[in-house]
Amino acid sequence: MTTDLEHELKQLIIDTLELEDVTPEDVDPDEPLFVEGLGLDSIDALELGLALQKRYGIQLEADSDETRRHFANLRTLAALVEARRTQ
Amino acid sequence: MSDSPLRQARWRDPDPTRCVGWLPTGRVTLADFQRRIGAWQACLDTLAEPGRCYALHDRDPLVFASALLALWERGDSALLPADDRPETLAGVDALTRARLGDVPGGHRPSTGAAPRWGTLSAERTALWLYTSGSTGAAKRIPKSFAQLDAELATHRDLWPLEGRLTISQVSHQHIYGLLFAILRPLVEAAPMAGALCRYPETLHAWLAALDETSQTVLISAPPPLERLPETLDWPRVRQRLAAVYSSGAPLPAAAGRRTQRLLDAPVRELYGSSDTGGIAWRGVPRQDDAWTPLPGIAVRADRDDDHLWLRSPYLDSRDWQRQADRIREAGDGRFQLLGRADRIAKVGGKRLSLTAMDRALEAADGVRRARTVVLPEPSGRLGAIVQLDPAGIPIEHGARRQRIAALRERLARAFEPTVIPRAWRFVETWPVNAQGKLTVERVERLFRDRLDHRQPRWLGVEASADGCCHVTLEVPERLAHLAGHFPGRPVVPGVVMIQWTCDLAREHLGVTGAFSRLERVKFPQLLPPGERVTLALEWHGDMQRLDFRLSGRHGCHASGRMHFRAGDPS
Repeated sequence: MTTDLEHELKQLIIDTLELEDVTPEDVDPDEPLFVEGLGLDSIDALELGLALQKRYGIQLEADSDETRRHFANLRTLAALVEARRTQ
Repeated sequence: MSDSPLRQARWRDPDPTRCVGWLPTGRVTLADFQRRIGAWQACLDTLAEPGRCYALHDRDPLVFASALLALWERGDSALLPADDRPETLAGVDALTRARLGDVPGGHRPSTGAAPRWGTLSAERTALWLYTSGSTGAAKRIPKSFAQLDAELATHRDLWPLEGRLTISQVSHQHIYGLLFAILRPLVEAAPMAGALCRYPETLHAWLAALDETSQTVLISAPPPLERLPETLDWPRVRQRLAAVYSSGAPLPAAAGRRTQRLLDAPVRELYGSSDTGGIAWRGVPRQDDAWTPLPGIAVRADRDDDHLWLRSPYLDSRDWQRQADRIREAGDGRFQLLGRADRIAKVGGKRLSLTAMDRALEAADGVRRARTVVLPEPSGRLGAIVQLDPAGIPIEHGARRQRIAALRERLARAFEPTVIPRAWRFVETWPVNAQGKLTVERVERLFRDRLDHRQPRWLGVEASADGCCHVTLEVPERLAHLAGHFPGRPVVPGVVMIQWTCDLAREHLGVTGAFSRLERVKFPQLLPPGERVTLALEWHGDMQRLDFRLSGRHGCHASGRMHFRAGDPS
């Protein structure tokens, strides 16, 4: 099951990172976003952090391991947004 | 001051409490650090007699630094692989005794032991670095202690660290990170952060965790600087940041100004390469894009083809050396960069031989020919034009995704994720112009849909007879017109197909005149995103009439006739 928020985040990822061979249906919520899966990298992580701040007012924590844990897959990302959104 | 900073070996100082490594969670003293050097040497002692070369890769700056010094002091040298891809490491194995660090099969330090100090003579090779050669094969470049010392002394004299903490956002497997983030703190007896600082949030927190009087320098690169968030409270922490350095690729002027505004520190850009060492620098704010040669460096432009001629104390030869970059002399000793004359590019701040990438793609099953290009900003990523065996051309979304996934997987053995192409254009015939060239205009045409989300993906045109042509198209998954047409089942609206037809007829058949009317129009099959289709166009100039048919694997998506008025288009 994909929630509305998960769908919104899929579209956010696709639009922010200009992924052209991916549709929201292609993003498995449990698949890793980085390296395997969508094959994202550290520059994408920076872009995604900026997009999350802009759209949801989320400030990421300084600990890069913690950040990476939230970016692991779509579900963990949705949980982060759910818990921390201010807008 | 000494002009041989490395050979001064400040890490041997009897100063056990001096801070070598810093993190908010604790610090590493010189005594700790010396024990780590000893521990690495104990490990090396089990591997071979001194005088060998080892592959060294480790993301942890202190692990890396202690291993490097252990090798040097023992009488060994280091080879720094450019990344940790399996094929990169396999290529390095034949040249080295063993792998050290955070790579598969990499040795780790044994437990503490007293370090042994050796002799670092000027002409001895300290290490080898890799750079992407323009022929596609990676080039291995030796650096002697004298060469490294010459650079380190120059940087120290220009911008002394004076005890400031070095925080790095770049890889030290390459010359810039190696010199600025590892060797400079070591030779200037200044502390370095105990980890790479990947995210701006980390930088902010580290600066906040330092005490009021601490000062830092940031070793960075265009990708992180271009993406500094405005939303962090920089004014609260930025008085602890004394300078920002950037290298790897030119920092766009706007990004430089923004960095300076947010961090309120001078931004200094370095220009150079692994083979040449540092060549020039420029600061923000700046009046123009010109670079100032570093002290001791002489630069001139070739009269005929603008190639950079370089004379540098960091090179083996003191003669003028011709470089692949082209420059224009500014007349006051400074110069402007005009770009590369070969197929070396910077992708996400990483230097890449496009020739090597093309060859790797051409080695994949079913690929006949490939050409990679750097996509325009803001992407800056790689796009690939790939000619496939006709049977292997993907004709719908799923097949295209599979094909891309297989190519990506293959490339990932040898290339880092950052440089793997992001946009793929699969073609049946090589998209050359009438002169047989794949021109800049053709390349731009193939990727134009990325800039205008109302357009189809254009994959080539073939003229079949006078006034007739076939245009190969794909429906982009992010086509603007798809949104909300039918929820859950996006299709291209008929009116959009008509617009595409009209535009492409003007582009390829020189159709002019205002559109007047349609007749016999049919839309028999729905057209979903990801489909590959062919648009057949037939222009009857005498009647000002265009016959068209857009078809794909399911048959016809649109067909009909379009009439145009004679005269100017509207």
